[in-house]
Amino acid sequence: MNDDYLWDGSGKPDPEIRRLESLLGRFRHDPVRTSLDAGQTARAARRPAGGRWVLLATAATLVIAVVGAYLVSRVGDQGWEVVRLEGAPRVGSAAIARTGRLSVGGWVVTDEGSRAEIRIGTIGEARIDPGTRVRLVRADLTDHRLLLERGTLHARIWAPPRLFFVETPSATVVDLGCTYTLSVDAAGESLLSVTSGWVAFEFEGRESFVPAGALCATRKPRGPGTPYFEDATPSLRDALRRLDFEDDPDSRASSLEVVLREARPEDALSLWHLLSRMGAAERGRIHDRLAVLVPPPVGVTRDGVLRGDREMLDRWWDALGLGVSSWWRLWKSPGPPG
Amino acid sequence: MTDDPPQDPPGEIALVEAAQSGDAHAFRRLYDRYARMVHGLLLASVPRAEVDDLMQDVFLQAYRSLGSLRDGSAFGAWLARIARNRAHDYHRTSVPTEELKEDVPAPLSQEAEAMAALRAVRSLPPAYRETLTLRLVEGMTGPEIAERTGLTPDSVRVNLHRGMKLLREKLKGEGRS
Repeated sequence: MNDDYLWDGSGKPDPEIRRLESLLGRFRHDPVRTSLDAGQTARAARRPAGGRWVLLATAATLVIAVVGAYLVSRVGDQGWEVVRLEGAPRVGSAAIARTGRLSVGGWVVTDEGSRAEIRIGTIGEARIDPGTRVRLVRADLTDHRLLLERGTLHARIWAPPRLFFVETPSATVVDLGCTYTLSVDAAGESLLSVTSGWVAFEFEGRESFVPAGALCATRKPRGPGTPYFEDATPSLRDALRRLDFEDDPDSRASSLEVVLREARPEDALSLWHLLSRMGAAERGRIHDRLAVLVPPPVGVTRDGVLRGDREMLDRWWDALGLGVSSWWRLWKSPGPPG
Repeated sequence: MTDDPPQDPPGEIALVEAAQSGDAHAFRRLYDRYARMVHGLLLASVPRAEVDDLMQDVFLQAYRSLGSLRDGSAFGAWLARIARNRAHDYHRTSVPTEELKEDVPAPLSQEAEAMAALRAVRSLPPAYRETLTLRLVEGMTGPEIAERTGLTPDSVRVNLHRGMKLLREKLKGEGRS
C-alpha cells in the first residue's frame, strides 16, 4: 500500500485508491449548491424544485445558503396542521376534535374558551389564544404568511429570516428567527413583544427592528412605532407613543424632552430609530443624546447621521450591542466580496 | 474518533473571534473552509439524501452557539462534534425508511459501484469511516483532515492506513461474493 499517496496525494498513485476517489468523488460536497454568488438575491435565486435542497441554492446570503434551503424545501403544499389545545377551535366552519388542516385562504378561529396551535410548515409554530381570528394567506416555499385579524398569536420560528410573516391591519411582522407574541385589538392596532431573536415590523417602507426583550406598537395608518425595551420607564414609553402616533407639535416637543431626559444606554434602541423618523431639528438633539449613551464608531459623523447616511446609521447600530444585527443585514445585502 | 488537542490553522482564531462578534462575513468564510468536513462527517453515517439538509442544521447550530466557544483554535473540533451529534440525533429520531434502496441504481453501473463503495466505507468503525470519507469522497489530504477536525496528524494517518486496509478487505470480500 502506498501510504504517501493515501496521506497527501504525493508519491506513486495507488490504483485502487485512485479508483475509489473517482467513484466516490461524485458524492463530494457541491459548493455550487450551498455557497453564494454575491449580488444575487434570495428570491431571484429560486429554482424549480429538483430535489430537497435546490430551492434557494444560490441565494445571496449565508443565511439562505446554510439554513434556508433546508427549511423551505420541506414545506408541503397540503396546508398547515392545526392542533386543538383547549376548547373548540375551528378551521373554517368545522370544529377541531384533535387536529385539522388549514388551507390557503382558510381561517382558524378561537372563541373565548379555545386555544389552538398552527404548525407553520416545518419552520415553526404559532399558538393562538382565545378570541383570535387568523387566516393563512400564503404557504409558499419562501413565504409563509398569516393574517392576524384580531386576538393574540405566539410564534416560535426556527427558520432563517424572512420566511415567516404575519400581517396585521396596521403593519407586517417579519420574522428574523425568533419567538414573539403579537396582539391585535378591535381597532386593528397591534402590539409586538419579542421573547427571543429578532422581529422586523414593516409598513409601507417604515421599519422597526425589535430585539428580544423589546416591544413595538403599530397604529393605522402610521405603521410601526418606535421599539422600546420592556423595562423602559412608563413615562418614556408614553412619550414614545405620543411621538409615534400624535400630531400635536407641543405634545411631540414635550415628549421628545422626556425621551431625551429619561433614555438609558439600553434605550439607544429607541433613539436610534428616532434618528430616521424625526425632523432635522430634532435629529440633531437625538444624535447628541445617543452619542452620549453610545458613542458613534470612528467615521460616523454628526453630519452624516443628520442627513440620513444609511451606512453610518448601520455602523452606529452595530455599536449598540444588540447582538446579531449582521444576520439581518447580511440577509438584505449582497454577499461579501471574495 | 476522539478529539485530540486542536490545531491552530493560520488566521482561524481571528476569524472565529470576528464571527463571534457578529461578523457574518467571517462566519461565511468559516463555512467555506469547513463545508467539506461537515459534509464528509455526515455522509459517513447518514443517508445521502439527508446530508445536505443536516449540514444546514449543523451550521445553523454553530452560528447560534458560536458565543459559547471559548477557544477559537478548537473551532474545527467543536464543529465536528456538532456534526457528529447531529448525525447521532438523526439516527435516534428518524424512522427507518427504504431510501437506501432508492439510491441503488441498476447493477453493474458506475453509480451502483459507487454506492457499493460508499456502503463499504460506511460499514467501517466510525474513526475509519469518517477519515476515509473525508479523504476519498471529499478529496481532503491527511494534513487537511487533521487541521480541520482537530485530530493529530498521527491519528489521521493511522486511521487512514487501518481504514484503507479494512476497506480493501471488505471490497475484496464483496467482489468474491
